Amino acid sequence: MRAIAAAFNAAHAAHAAQRVRVVLTFFPDFHYTEKIAIAAAARDLPDVLDLDGPLVARFASAGLLRPLEPWFSAGELADFLPTILAQGTVDGRLYALGAFESAAVLYYDRAMLAAAGVAPPPDGRGWSWEEFLAACARLRRAGIEPVALHMNEGADEWFTYAFSPVVWSGGGHLISADGRRVRGVLASAENIRSLRRWQDLFRQGFAATDPLDPDPFGHGRVALDWSGHWMARSHAAVKGDRLGAMPLPAAGAQPVAPCGSWCWALTTAAREPALAARWLRWVTDSRHGIEPVVQANGAVPARRSAFAAFPDYARPPYRLFRDQLEHFARPRPRTPYYATLTSQFAAALRDIAHGADVAARLLTAEDEIQSVIDRREPAGGTAVPPAATGETAP
Amino acid sequence: MIAWRKSQARAAPWFLLPALALLAVFVVWPMLRALAWSFTNADLLAPGQGRGIGLANYSDLLADPRFRRAFANTALFALLVVPVQTAAAFLLALWVNRPEPAWRWLRTAFFAPVVVSMPVLAVLWTMLYQPAQGREMGLVNALLGLVGAPPQAWLRDPSLALPAIAAMSLWQGVGLQMMVFLAGLQGVPRELVEAARIDGAGAWARLRHVILPALRNTLVFVVTVTTLLAFRLFVQPYLMTRGGPGTSTLSLIQSIYETTFVAQDLGRACAAAFLFLLLVGALALVQRRAAREERA
Repeated sequence: MRAIAAAFNAAHAAHAAQRVRVVLTFFPDFHYTEKIAIAAAARDLPDVLDLDGPLVARFASAGLLRPLEPWFSAGELADFLPTILAQGTVDGRLYALGAFESAAVLYYDRAMLAAAGVAPPPDGRGWSWEEFLAACARLRRAGIEPVALHMNEGADEWFTYAFSPVVWSGGGHLISADGRRVRGVLASAENIRSLRRWQDLFRQGFAATDPLDPDPFGHGRVALDWSGHWMARSHAAVKGDRLGAMPLPAAGAQPVAPCGSWCWALTTAAREPALAARWLRWVTDSRHGIEPVVQANGAVPARRSAFAAFPDYARPPYRLFRDQLEHFARPRPRTPYYATLTSQFAAALRDIAHGADVAARLLTAEDEIQSVIDRREPAGGTAVPPAATGETAP
Repeated sequence: MIAWRKSQARAAPWFLLPALALLAVFVVWPMLRALAWSFTNADLLAPGQGRGIGLANYSDLLADPRFRRAFANTALFALLVVPVQTAAAFLLALWVNRPEPAWRWLRTAFFAPVVVSMPVLAVLWTMLYQPAQGREMGLVNALLGLVGAPPQAWLRDPSLALPAIAAMSLWQGVGLQMMVFLAGLQGVPRELVEAARIDGAGAWARLRHVILPALRNTLVFVVTVTTLLAFRLFVQPYLMTRGGPGTSTLSLIQSIYETTFVAQDLGRACAAAFLFLLLVGALALVQRRAAREERA
């Protein structure tokens, strides 16, 4: 990141008259979101802000972000993956663009599956939930631990990120299309059914509810790994040709993949947005911004033109990352109440994994989230124009 | 002499000024700001745009099931921890209150958890409490197995999670109170104890009629401080259970934290913080009053 900023400053040093200079401020990742909220409260936001995709709606609805359309041509925007545009779009305006995307898949060890007599699905296809459970049962009978779900992740976001696709693929939603109502949406019949199927994984002992090992798949202790793109390098290094990857199992007919990443936004604190936008263009530019960042963090490039620099994307598992982002990934809901939604949904998932009654636990989460929304949106939310969250239309 | 006193009186405000200025800027002013916000619906991301809504935040909080649950959990935690921790600290202090240098090691051992960072201990105890999964289980469950008891899902069972966290907190905090009691014990006049012994008082009578009365102030201090620390419960449940399962380990501080940073409802969060301040202040006053009456 420092190198990207240095290159930017060097490239712009010639324009001495304009005095464009980027000063990067790094925060420890821990409680970063709280820190930028405090900066907003103190009216001390930087001109350009890096934030997690699902939080864009909150900052945009508080009037803290500027739309980005003036600074990018339609052709440039068409170069971005559709999920990046969807993630940054609130109320029909684009407020944020990321340099990289993310993916979660079901990694598998071909040798362990073969030992249990389980056939992986054809390339690019995923399992239905029945096939997934049947595979787990066969692995268990062969004395192999079936699947790692990483329930030891400390951050709430892993739960919403990794397991919202279970809800979506089962035909349900987390929140209404306008992002202001969870009542009757979160505890819907579809979601109760989907999450009961998810709970079966723990009920039947196919996945650990309190794992200690952060990477049991890499250590050869489980056959399947419900995990993110960030494990691809180390899994490929450990497993070599034995490594396979498929889309996450679908609770309904169609698989849905998660997506989303940190992204850059232009704040209303920027007194000269045209200059600030230069940095934003630089950092989301394929050559200057995306290539160095993706080389470093191993994430999925956010622009189609950047894939040329990454030959790995012609092969699995990387090809799958791009395929699902192009075709069946869905961003997390864009609602100003995302922080409450994700923490309550994650808490509900933890309890459900430990055996809580799915319907009752989802209703409790509904109540808790809706009460936070209702305090901000008197009489049905007329205060703020309803935003499309993209929950209904991919 | 009088002139000296006068010059002292004249100089005093100047010596007080730096401290008072710092207190005003860093304590009084923020508290007044927070108090003002608590009567508005201010948003954390735009605090200036709040509208006055009177006491609505306060009445809302007092009726809010989540906030009431957080209060009940925290109060239950204090009820579990304060008497047991005070008694345990006192017994430990009696035990290790010996002059031989070897006992220093034991004192250090009991005190060690106090100086270790709480997040580290929280992770450690999460492992100790690990529920059984196949043949793997945490140390606590393994020990239960040795005496033939079935393993428990300590932090995942709504009825066990808070007691489990209380036990861990007790282990962590007891060393501090033990040190305070030790200091108190070493202040008990030896002649008094010896005199009681010569008068034929047994160990129990010496404890009951000589040592405990001499330790009354220490005891009041320990109970007050332990209560206040218990009400500030946050790190252990936040890291070990996130307030779950359900809301069974949700603490008052976590609920204030979530209102501030997750819901970003600044007005309500300030109101909650003031309710917390009132509660803790009232507790401290009640305990002082009780202590004074006993002394009279």
